[in-house]
Amino acid sequence: MVNLLTLLVAGLANGSLYALVALGLVLIYKTQDVVNFAHGEILMAGAFIGFSAYTFLHLPYGWSLVAAVLLGGLLGAVIERVAFRRVANQHHITLAMVTVGLSVLMKGLARIPFGRDINTYPPAFKADRVVLWGIPISPQHLLTIAMAASLAVALYLFFRFTALGKKMRATQQTIVGAQLVGINTGNVFASTWALAAMIGAAAGVLAAPLSLLYPDMGTNFLLKGFAAAVLGGFESVPGAIVGGFIVGVVEMLFGGFVSTVFQQVSAFFIIILVLFLKPDGLFGRRALARV
Amino acid sequence: MERLPWLRRLFPFVLILALLAASQVMDNYLQYIVNLVLIYVIIGIGLNFLLGFAGQFAFAHAALMGIGAYTAALLTTRVGLSFWLALPLSGVVAAVIGAGAALPAMRMRRVYLALVTLAFAQLIIWVLINWNAVTLGTDGVDLRAPYLFGWRMRGDRNTFYIVLPVTVFLYWLARRVLESHVGRAFIAIRENEIVARSNGISVAWTKTLVFALSAFYAGIGGGLYALALGFIVPDSFGLGQLTLHFSIVVLGGMLSLYGAVIGAVVLTTLPEFLRDVQALQEIIYGLVLMVVILVMPQGIVGPLKRFGILPREVLARNWRRLERRG
Repeated sequence: MVNLLTLLVAGLANGSLYALVALGLVLIYKTQDVVNFAHGEILMAGAFIGFSAYTFLHLPYGWSLVAAVLLGGLLGAVIERVAFRRVANQHHITLAMVTVGLSVLMKGLARIPFGRDINTYPPAFKADRVVLWGIPISPQHLLTIAMAASLAVALYLFFRFTALGKKMRATQQTIVGAQLVGINTGNVFASTWALAAMIGAAAGVLAAPLSLLYPDMGTNFLLKGFAAAVLGGFESVPGAIVGGFIVGVVEMLFGGFVSTVFQQVSAFFIIILVLFLKPDGLFGRRALARV
Repeated sequence: MERLPWLRRLFPFVLILALLAASQVMDNYLQYIVNLVLIYVIIGIGLNFLLGFAGQFAFAHAALMGIGAYTAALLTTRVGLSFWLALPLSGVVAAVIGAGAALPAMRMRRVYLALVTLAFAQLIIWVLINWNAVTLGTDGVDLRAPYLFGWRMRGDRNTFYIVLPVTVFLYWLARRVLESHVGRAFIAIRENEIVARSNGISVAWTKTLVFALSAFYAGIGGGLYALALGFIVPDSFGLGQLTLHFSIVVLGGMLSLYGAVIGAVVLTTLPEFLRDVQALQEIIYGLVLMVVILVMPQGIVGPLKRFGILPREVLARNWRRLERRG
């Protein structure tokens, strides 16, 4: 029983990371119809920015997280402005390939300073584990879950109450309509990318102590985040979060009770199963075909 | 296709003769690169059927290539079958499994299809790694070189004599398919499934056909890849391989067979110049991919067609708009 609960907490911690990655993917997909294959590398960049701030500049943990989030956001906005604005209405596969190129490029850039060895990111807490209600839990897991939950709430408030959040939602509904009522959709695109990249960078800093720090670390998170987003319906923010938790928990339970060999692909089994039963994900709306 | 001037119609034959002549003087390394380019032409054509012409956003191509490669290698080394039988079988096995990937394509929209096929591909790689008893896992398998009239076809030049005719035949076949009513049905499905259906096209059948055809090309490409390398491991058919396939199609040009050829030439030779430094190789690869797509969103064939260097390939009145559309 204790074993099950420990696994559940670890699963929720991993799941909240997947949920954060999925959130970034969903935000960009909703506004620009781009599947962002470079999102894993944005996470990797965030992790390395935080790592550099923490180990080389000796900033406290909290400030290195802030630095990673701010620089990550800037990176996202620059990527949108330089690479995506000019091809925004091309074929969606063309757009996806731009992000693939970006992903390869960013991995190469990260390999120059950090490629030589695998770095470890020190966890935020000294204690290895705390015992809560008789269950041993890693404090890093708790921090990850708490951060993801507060980010989700903050995002909800942002989309609900701020002007920029409302503009983003309007642009997601219809770009031309948003332009007609005087919304600067270019700005909205850039800020959506910035927001998605900030979430990705935060996920990177949180993920780094749990996984290891190396230029290819983003791929696994991208795959799991992609899985989470699709499970949730790809256009639904709560769906992405629930999807992330499902992928994380299922993976842990498979690893703990079935076999670790199955753990690597358990998420994919679930996806194939769910999508065959519900082809638009758990939270997606069925697309109506007008004849 | 337009009626071409006779000089242009001769061009493919000139190209084949030039390649044959060059193979007499090339060293092994160069010959190996030429073989790889030809193999990636086959694979690029296969993916172009699916991605460019039928517009199906499916991610299983690298894994299907792996299935082809493993079929060829396992059948020759462990079953002892002749390569001449194993090669077509590698295409057929991949086509059967690939047709299975058409099943989700009947129900799902593009992102979902992308993920299901990606999950399917990861499962295939996982089986190749973990089914030790058959695939020998991460140790990899050899391929027994084929015999022709008692001659053992070993070495890069002999491989070339096998790869070239297969590539030429499959290119010709692709051209024939795309110019037939089947090829037009592919494009109809890409453009609008409802319109396709109301014009009497069976969407289910056409999708199954295009998935199987594309997988067949991937399988044959994989079989030849195993022949060219002589030794394969499961990791060769993962995400890196998939990225290469997509790059070939998009960089060369979707909706174009010339595009597959151009993409294969550029992306197979480019990394060879920078073999030693992985970081530099990735930076250049990523930059080339991004810049080419940003400057020429229709791929390298885009401007070539606009200036009339390459003929049009799609039989449709608004073919320029068709190639641009998202």
